[in-house]
Amino acid sequence: MIAEKTLIENLKQKDTQAKAFEVLINTYKERLYWHIRRIVLDHNDTDDVLQNTFIKVFRNIDGFKGNSKLYSWMYRIATNEALSFLKAKSRKLGVSNDELQERMANNLQADVYFEGDEIQLQLQKAIALLPEKQKLVFNMKYFEELKYEEISEILETSVGGLKATYHLAVKKIEASLKQEQ
Amino acid sequence: MSEKSKNSGFRTPKGYFEHFTDDLLDKMSKETSGLPKKDGLKVPEGYFDNLDKKILKKVTEKESKVIRLKSYKKYFLAAASVAAILILVLSIQERGQSSFTFDDLARTDIENYLEENELGLSSYELAEVLLTEELEVNDILNSELDDENIIDYLEDNIDDIDELNLEIDE
Repeated sequence: MIAEKTLIENLKQKDTQAKAFEVLINTYKERLYWHIRRIVLDHNDTDDVLQNTFIKVFRNIDGFKGNSKLYSWMYRIATNEALSFLKAKSRKLGVSNDELQERMANNLQADVYFEGDEIQLQLQKAIALLPEKQKLVFNMKYFEELKYEEISEILETSVGGLKATYHLAVKKIEASLKQEQ
Repeated sequence: MSEKSKNSGFRTPKGYFEHFTDDLLDKMSKETSGLPKKDGLKVPEGYFDNLDKKILKKVTEKESKVIRLKSYKKYFLAAASVAAILILVLSIQERGQSSFTFDDLARTDIENYLEENELGLSSYELAEVLLTEELEVNDILNSELDDENIIDYLEDNIDDIDELNLEIDE
């Protein structure tokens, strides 16, 4: 993998831009895909949001000043894109965000790209009930296995706050699962 | 802070209280007993294989036909208003009710209508049909903004203010 600084420089120069962008996509596509997928759940929606995320990254790379790491800047864009997508979707369907989350989790059962067992389905339903911030932190820590320091940079929250948020999320999920059993 | 309790003679290990919060939060956040480690989500076979080519193609396609807008949201309402005016004018003319004009509609009614009804236009579609040169920012805002406020806002929120090619009267 080429150094981040070189990659950013190449992304900003017209003659090296296309190749560098290809490298950028190939480096981050899977990580960002799973990050978005766990927010929007549906594969096709994820594909749309992921492509829009990369397009936004490409369009705004000139303005990237390097105050944060490239991956956290991209994760931030992906998170915002995914959340905006869900807001637009709930508006379009005329339902509240909470209702949409519940529907999305229920739809998993019939989703060909979900192969989870009953407990994994219950887990997704429990995650769907969490407030937005807890959901993001739980997914990023538990499934994506990001470090608190990384999550802190992406979500611009203190590490201490994140640990407490994660703990709360886990307790709520455990309680939901127990209730289901 | 003294590490020795006042009367009892009990002591705590050095730095105990300094690390207490972090240690406790660490311990709490590691407790995930009984939760499945996998989420069951899967991806279509070969999905990632040509993703880079697909996105690059999309970027070059859009680059060539779309005017770049840093923020299109503020134009959304205006574009939607233009569309609403056209629809209203046409439908009014058709019914021959000349006594009822667009001015009779409360601004909030129009806003509510636009809020609640998805127009189904993407930002790119809006960018293509919207004549932005005829729009003033104050046309679509409830309160007047002065230049100084706008420049301050842009400086804080736009990545590269020079890219906007602003003409500022000193």
